[in-house]
Amino acid sequence: MNLFVETLGFGIVSGCVIALGAVGFSVQFGISNVLNVAYGTFLTLAAYLGYLLNVEHFNQWLSVVVVGMAIAVLSVVYNRLLPGRLMRRGAGFVTTLIATVWAGIGMLYVIVVIAGPTARTYQVDNGRTLTFAAFVLTTSQLVVIGAALALMFAYHLLLTQTQLGKAMRATSVNPVVARSCGIPVSRVIDAAWFISGLLCGMSGVVLALTTVTFGSTLGTTFLIYMIAAAVFGGIGQPYGAMVGGLVVGLATQLVGAYSSPAYEDVAAFVILTAMLLVRPRGLFGTAATRSLRLAGG
Amino acid sequence: MSPVDYYVTILAVYMGTDLIAAWGLNLEFGVTGVPNLAYIVFFACGSYTYAVLTVGPASQFGGSESYIIGARLDPAVAILVAMVASALVGVIIGLTGLRRLRLDYQALAFLIISFIAIGVVGADGAIFNGLPGMSLIPNPLGTGKGAATAWEYVGVVALGCVFAVLLVRQLGRGPLGRALRAIRDDEEAASAVGKNVLWMRLMTQGVGAGLAGLAGALLAGFIGGWSPNAWAYTETMALITVVMIGGRGSIKGVAVGTILVLGGFLQGVQYLPTLPGRPGTTEDLGWILAAAAAIFFIFVRPQGLFPERRPKLALLPARVDAAPVSSTDPTAEVLTQAAGRSAAARTDGPAAGAVGATELAAHHVRLVTRRMPDGVDAVRAPGGPILQVRSLVRSYGGVRAVDEASFSVPYGSIVGLIGPNGAGKSTALGIISGFIKPDAGRVELDGLDVTRLPSYRRARIGLVRTFQLAREFPRLTSLENLLVAPLHQRGEHVTASIVGKAAYGAQEAALVDRARQLIELFGLAHLADAPAGSLSGGQKRLLELMRALMLDPKLLLLDEPMAGLSPAITERLENACLALREAGVSVLLVEHELGSVDRLCDNVIMMAQGRVLAEGAMEDLRRSVDVQDAYFVG
Repeated sequence: MNLFVETLGFGIVSGCVIALGAVGFSVQFGISNVLNVAYGTFLTLAAYLGYLLNVEHFNQWLSVVVVGMAIAVLSVVYNRLLPGRLMRRGAGFVTTLIATVWAGIGMLYVIVVIAGPTARTYQVDNGRTLTFAAFVLTTSQLVVIGAALALMFAYHLLLTQTQLGKAMRATSVNPVVARSCGIPVSRVIDAAWFISGLLCGMSGVVLALTTVTFGSTLGTTFLIYMIAAAVFGGIGQPYGAMVGGLVVGLATQLVGAYSSPAYEDVAAFVILTAMLLVRPRGLFGTAATRSLRLAGG
Repeated sequence: MSPVDYYVTILAVYMGTDLIAAWGLNLEFGVTGVPNLAYIVFFACGSYTYAVLTVGPASQFGGSESYIIGARLDPAVAILVAMVASALVGVIIGLTGLRRLRLDYQALAFLIISFIAIGVVGADGAIFNGLPGMSLIPNPLGTGKGAATAWEYVGVVALGCVFAVLLVRQLGRGPLGRALRAIRDDEEAASAVGKNVLWMRLMTQGVGAGLAGLAGALLAGFIGGWSPNAWAYTETMALITVVMIGGRGSIKGVAVGTILVLGGFLQGVQYLPTLPGRPGTTEDLGWILAAAAAIFFIFVRPQGLFPERRPKLALLPARVDAAPVSSTDPTAEVLTQAAGRSAAARTDGPAAGAVGATELAAHHVRLVTRRMPDGVDAVRAPGGPILQVRSLVRSYGGVRAVDEASFSVPYGSIVGLIGPNGAGKSTALGIISGFIKPDAGRVELDGLDVTRLPSYRRARIGLVRTFQLAREFPRLTSLENLLVAPLHQRGEHVTASIVGKAAYGAQEAALVDRARQLIELFGLAHLADAPAGSLSGGQKRLLELMRALMLDPKLLLLDEPMAGLSPAITERLENACLALREAGVSVLLVEHELGSVDRLCDNVIMMAQGRVLAEGAMEDLRRSVDVQDAYFVG
């Protein structure tokens, strides 16, 4: 029982971080219809940038925000240079996808060349250990959970209560109509990539903080979890990605605790396979009809 | 064995196996448009199958239980089994939920499958020995270590390449290749002209996966080991890059792409400097340069080095023997006149190629009756209805888009289906043509219950639709768009396609002639060899109608064909409808242009809020208060 409850705690923490990243990934796909595989490299980049601050004994929570902002700006620039530009030229879905793959690989090896092959370790201040009933959590884990929930709520408010949110939803459904309604679509897209970059950067640093030691593969590993979460919830659906993140986080931690850590990935994959077979468009996905013409990518 | 031999043979085997795989992927992705981002999984499937079947019992792996089979199969047999196994896995994955997804979701799902496969194998030592992988895999040519064996192996791989290129080339050309490309360009439109999209996609996924399996088996046999390191998802990306750089759908392009991308990378890395004080960064630099080069290429030449070329069929001289024009044929004169007139008219200007109603009618009757030489009455005398729709229901969420709608279309008549926006007309049309599943109700074509038939089967028995927004196959030529449609094309069968023109050439030539006559009749002959994507909106609408006619329909379902057309093209379309009625083809016309409805329709059905509100002649409907309220007032 204790193990279960303890794992539940870890699962929720890891699920929150995955959910943050998954929402960011989902936003890009939803708004731009770009499957941005370079997202994983941005996660890794965030972890290394956070490490640079960590070495200077920068406050760890402040560094999450600072790196988040930095990645957000980079994300906007990146979209303008590559996927956004390709889409404007009428490049197909698969072409754009391949371009992001290469961008991800290129940037990753730039990081590897600069940072070297050795794994890095954060100096982490986990704060006090607190016990609630059977839950044992550190204050920093609580901060992560709280911050993630707050961010999700903020994103929810943004989508439902603000002009920008409305514009984002309109753009994701039909950018052409959105433009003819007077929505400045390119600025909305910039905003979306800024938000997704922010979420990506923050979750990248938090991932490094929770795993403590990380290397250049951090991004790819967690990108898979985030894609799993996003697909589980229905890609492009922010609430789906949140739920998916929690499910994937919990499942991987529980399987890791009860069988072997090697099976953590397998757990995520079993969930995904089941979802793909039973409800391929995900929990919250709307009809993914084939009428959209993207053929030949 | 000299170092040069050693190096060159390794390079040749790697490139050869990659070439086999790239050709397979080209058939799947480049020709048919399946975004298979899990392609390397099928490659690995071949490698593992070969390994498991050829290695001996467990002991030589230090007690690993993975090799319980210990079959020590003959390598040649193992390679064949590996191919078949991969092909089967390809078909099975194709049969899962994937096929119901939109293209971008499919790409994502394939990517996930790639992660899943490697994750599961890597996590579990019991499956193919997990991360360390399989080793001591026997070389198909035995254990001789000399240069001779290595070069013989290159020969074996070269044979594999020849097999792959012949297979892929034959499947990707002729009527089959045309149908596959139609599926790539627009799956729904392809099924609307009677193509069995699922079967064709499964076929290419099977062939593609089988070739990947062959390549995998050959590579594993050469290296002697196989582990998850060898099949990361980036390998698929490299192969897709090969296809993109070479030119999607181009066999030559893929070969050049393989040499450029893989050869360039493997060889180019050798010339890179090592960063001072950073041993081992050479390959990292290689990756950075490769990424930059790939992105640069995508921007500069997105269509690839060798863009797909489509045949120029309109330039072929007419085949006198296949052409139905003969002195005994009463319609021949009319046809020739029509062709001559439209050719002349084109130079005159505005009246260009106007369809003469009688010519088209005569043309169609002759074609339909010729298709049924044994006296089958293609155009039955008007009597019972050709289409009978009973109590159709279809709800979206809480809205009943179609609510207990029943109506019929008599033989040889043009029936209009009108109503305000949202009345359920297009949904009804979608249900009748099989693109939308009804919640309840029946659709009968010529007395036959077709409610459960998939859309492509309905098209094959003469129930053919067009779309509200014309849907051409943009990368095929106009003429090819027409040639996709005809039924019973021999060249669409896999075996005939492999045999080649000898198996289908005569039929194909006759079809080309027929398509050319039709396109001439509609005044688009000058665009016959232009990519259909470059046509104007009105021209695409005409093209779509011609494509439907190539199927010899009994009942045409036209979804707002007149919307947004110039008067000239509207007139052409109207004439065509009248001509078809003359020829005995029935038409169900969803239309807002009431002028056209007036001129064309024998009977008009008025829908509102999913129900049939009124039925009768257009002039009577105009007088009905209900109809005025629902439609003309709002």
